[in-house]
Amino acid sequence: QHITSNQGSQTIQTTPGRAPRSLTPTQRCFRIRLVPIPHRSKIAPRKASNPNPPVAIQTRPPPASLSPPLLPPSARAARRRRRRLLLAGAARERRAMETLMVDRVHSSLRLFMNRNAVFLCERLCAQFPAETNVQLLATCYLHNNQPYASYHILKGKKLPESRYLFAISCFRMNLLREAEETLCPVNEPNVEVPSGATGHYLLGLIYRYTGRVAAAAEQFTQALTLDPLLWAAYEELCILGVAEDANECFTEATALRLQQEQTSTSNLEKSNFVNENRVLSPNVSASLVDISPKHIKQLPANNTAEVPGYPHLRATALHVQNTVPSNVGQFDSPSPTVTQTSGIVPPPLFRNLHAYQNTTSGDAPAKPKVNAVNQPPRRKYLDEARLKKVTGRLFNPSGDSVPRRSARLSRDTPINSNSNISQFGGNGSDHSSGSRYEAVDEMWTDNIAATSSSLSIAEGRYFEQDKAERTLSQDSKMATGIKELLGLLRTLGEGYRLSCLFKCQEALEIYRKLPEPQFNTGWVLCQVGKAYFELVDYLEADHFFEFAHRLSPCTLEGMDIYSTVLYHLNEEMRLSYLAQELISVDRLSPQAWCAVGNCFALRKDHETALKNFQRAVQLDSRVAYAHTLCGHEYSALEDYENSVKFYRCALQVDERHYNAWYGLGVVYLRQEKFEFAEHHFRRAFQINPRSSVLMCYLGMALHALKRDEDALEMMEKAIFSDKKNPLPKYQKALILVGLQKYQEALDELERLREIAPHESSMYALMGKIYKQLNILDKAVFCFGVALDLKPPAADLAIIKSAMEKVHLPDELMEDDDL
Amino acid sequence: MESDGEEEAAAATPGTAGAAPAAGRLKGCPELSVEGDMREMAKTAAWSVSSCKPGNGVASLRDDSLDTYWQSDGAQPHLVNIQFQKKVQLQVSRRAAAAASARFGLDGWRVIFFFLLNLLFGGIQLVVLYVDFKLDESYTPSKISIRAGDGFHNLKEIKTVDLLKPVGWVHISLSGTDPRETFIHTFMLQIAVLANHLNGRDTHVRQIKIYGPRPNPVPHQPFHFTSRECIMYSTIR
Repeated sequence: QHITSNQGSQTIQTTPGRAPRSLTPTQRCFRIRLVPIPHRSKIAPRKASNPNPPVAIQTRPPPASLSPPLLPPSARAARRRRRRLLLAGAARERRAMETLMVDRVHSSLRLFMNRNAVFLCERLCAQFPAETNVQLLATCYLHNNQPYASYHILKGKKLPESRYLFAISCFRMNLLREAEETLCPVNEPNVEVPSGATGHYLLGLIYRYTGRVAAAAEQFTQALTLDPLLWAAYEELCILGVAEDANECFTEATALRLQQEQTSTSNLEKSNFVNENRVLSPNVSASLVDISPKHIKQLPANNTAEVPGYPHLRATALHVQNTVPSNVGQFDSPSPTVTQTSGIVPPPLFRNLHAYQNTTSGDAPAKPKVNAVNQPPRRKYLDEARLKKVTGRLFNPSGDSVPRRSARLSRDTPINSNSNISQFGGNGSDHSSGSRYEAVDEMWTDNIAATSSSLSIAEGRYFEQDKAERTLSQDSKMATGIKELLGLLRTLGEGYRLSCLFKCQEALEIYRKLPEPQFNTGWVLCQVGKAYFELVDYLEADHFFEFAHRLSPCTLEGMDIYSTVLYHLNEEMRLSYLAQELISVDRLSPQAWCAVGNCFALRKDHETALKNFQRAVQLDSRVAYAHTLCGHEYSALEDYENSVKFYRCALQVDERHYNAWYGLGVVYLRQEKFEFAEHHFRRAFQINPRSSVLMCYLGMALHALKRDEDALEMMEKAIFSDKKNPLPKYQKALILVGLQKYQEALDELERLREIAPHESSMYALMGKIYKQLNILDKAVFCFGVALDLKPPAADLAIIKSAMEKVHLPDELMEDDDL
Repeated sequence: MESDGEEEAAAATPGTAGAAPAAGRLKGCPELSVEGDMREMAKTAAWSVSSCKPGNGVASLRDDSLDTYWQSDGAQPHLVNIQFQKKVQLQVSRRAAAAASARFGLDGWRVIFFFLLNLLFGGIQLVVLYVDFKLDESYTPSKISIRAGDGFHNLKEIKTVDLLKPVGWVHISLSGTDPRETFIHTFMLQIAVLANHLNGRDTHVRQIKIYGPRPNPVPHQPFHFTSRECIMYSTIR
């Protein structure tokens, strides 16, 4: 039996035959020993939804040895039948073992006991080599950061889930080609990409990293159509610069579709994390009973990051969210009944649900309401008290919790079995919907026996009615929830899209529309800072990045840009402090090493800076910015060959990374390959058309190509687009000097003086112009001011010599640099 | 630019301030302190020496270790040759070449050569040697000459310095009296040890570094930006 069920694509079916869900795995295990199996299999044939605990109705079967040695044929047939049943019973026992192991693996995974999970799962696979178990083992390996191991065991497997897991393993091992072949086999074009939206997303990533932008965009779009709330896919589309308007992507139509999906019973895939879940629990049907721990336990670790201190809390909460929409009636209905009828303590899960919805409300804004409405307020106090108790226990050092549990086991189990029996014989209010949702962690198990009483069977009728009513009201609430969520995504998506297109002003406007709690988060503030960074407004960028860093000091994304902002602002002390902090937060993150590198680069220690940037590249070769920074350092060390190499690497990762195009342009400009320089600056300019610095550099390349008209035009444009930028003014003056339009150049420099009054190079250039105009006293004066402003040694000599030779005829004066 | 080379070096190295002007002789300073606007520039150069003992070859001069040294093994003067070579393709614009040839009466190759000289480097400003009289005694150089030129055939002496029991980094500034010649634009530099302390024959030099000004962060701009406003906008990162 169990083999056939395992071979299907439904993981859930590996569990239905298990013992009633009111008991912890250990208890169940105990029971199995207590209660003879053949009878049980007769009485409670694999019907998981049996509301009565089969265990409770057991009676001891006649021992086999009592049957007489010789029997009539009919009796023999009966005996054969019984033997078959016995065999089936053995199978069931095996099943139970399997179920138990699966359970333990899941709970280990959920509690981040990854090595434990791997060990148990390896045992499981040895005993029951079904493909679902292999998939589970692969999941364990992936959690334990051993993609090679999961690669090994999944190679050649054909089930869609296996293929997805295999592809993930390949992807993590950077075997992109193999991952791609797994996701969409070459010679079988009709095979669907496994795992729906996430599968398409993964394929898109592969295409992106192998440089097939159009195909990648197509995959991301497909992923987004399958799952409109898959933010990661939209983000990638933005990065590729091909995202469609967020207003069209997260529309009302999407909302409607989502809502329909929500209401249709057979669907749990409404949000991202469930999608990932689906890998292992593809058809979590709305089978009312099987809200098994499996679902929660399959939550990948990376989704639990939002509540850092409370991983298991989050796991439970997630589970609750997942199951709410399709099983709302059950979740809600018991509670009023309970309070009406008995006022007994509610079943544990409800409290969990209630108590933790606060912690998770950020994820699913609409869903908590659903429950909150139906909960009587006074229960909150109870819940809080309980929460305290529970968390108190949770925060025990994990080291001692394990032995304690086993101690508890021996203490608790007899009590539990007793209580079950007494429940059966007694008031009949033992098993309930509440205890079916045994999604409760181990942590709660001691209390279950005491508290699991809630609904009596007789109240099932109300239950049904209630359910229907609630589903209706649920629907409308769901609808508003979906709308709100889509609204939020719309704003964020539009802002992100615009900032990826470097329309930073518009992006900033969009971000300002966000409600304050959303705006004041690390991600949004970093995005705002980044937008100001692209606009070359480093002071504002610094302001927002600083705020972001203060709010969430552990956010690393975007901190590389922050360090560059500080670099530009010449804030050496703050930069080194930031670098130190980031290193202490996560010394394996490329961003932290970028910050350290920037720190050394600011101190002109380019060799050390280069080492740090290379470390960043080593840590994650898919961070384009780290490559670019390496390129900059090589460029500063005048090793142009290597610098070009690194810029090219950066562009391979992200073709729209304009900083690398700019870097290439600068290298070619230095090497006097002016056509190349112009081409690369133009590419950068096309990507970020609002940057006045890029315009200016393009103008410089044009000037070098003797296209002075175009160059001047470009400089004008740069001056117009950012009035605070002194660079284009200076360059324009240089071009005008070259054209011998001295007066115009002087006018431009006067305007420059208003922005940067203490600029040595400006006075030096003025002095030169006055010398050309033969206004010698002014020339001497300007050179003098230039010297007072502490030019670097190289300039110092030139200016001094120019000053001394002001009164000599032109011929000897000529400067080769100009 | 009225200061001469010794005083420049003395200003750059506070440790020598007392001794240098008095005797005109250089002592070392324990730390290598170079101003931030200079950078080491001889990494890609070809280094060679006139003679060496096995195991104390030219590599010891550039290994960043003060425990190893180059030891000559032959007659004086002992020479260290540094030939700069950059695989940079230069495109000398025709107009500028014409202007130069008109002004200086140069033609053909010489024009290009003239540009090469000026475009290749910002110029050499400072030569720094590490020598240690306490360890090396009679092997310590006492008189050093710096020569520059396009190749071995036309080296010209540009500076001669005397050392007085030096311990540490000896800074030799190449600035001449003419302010226009602050930097030496050259393809080749030769450091010649003319005499040693206590009339020693062979010589020990532990490190040699060569510094020139950093290139302008904005390519092809005649002057460096100095104010924060300008530097902030001058590059993208």
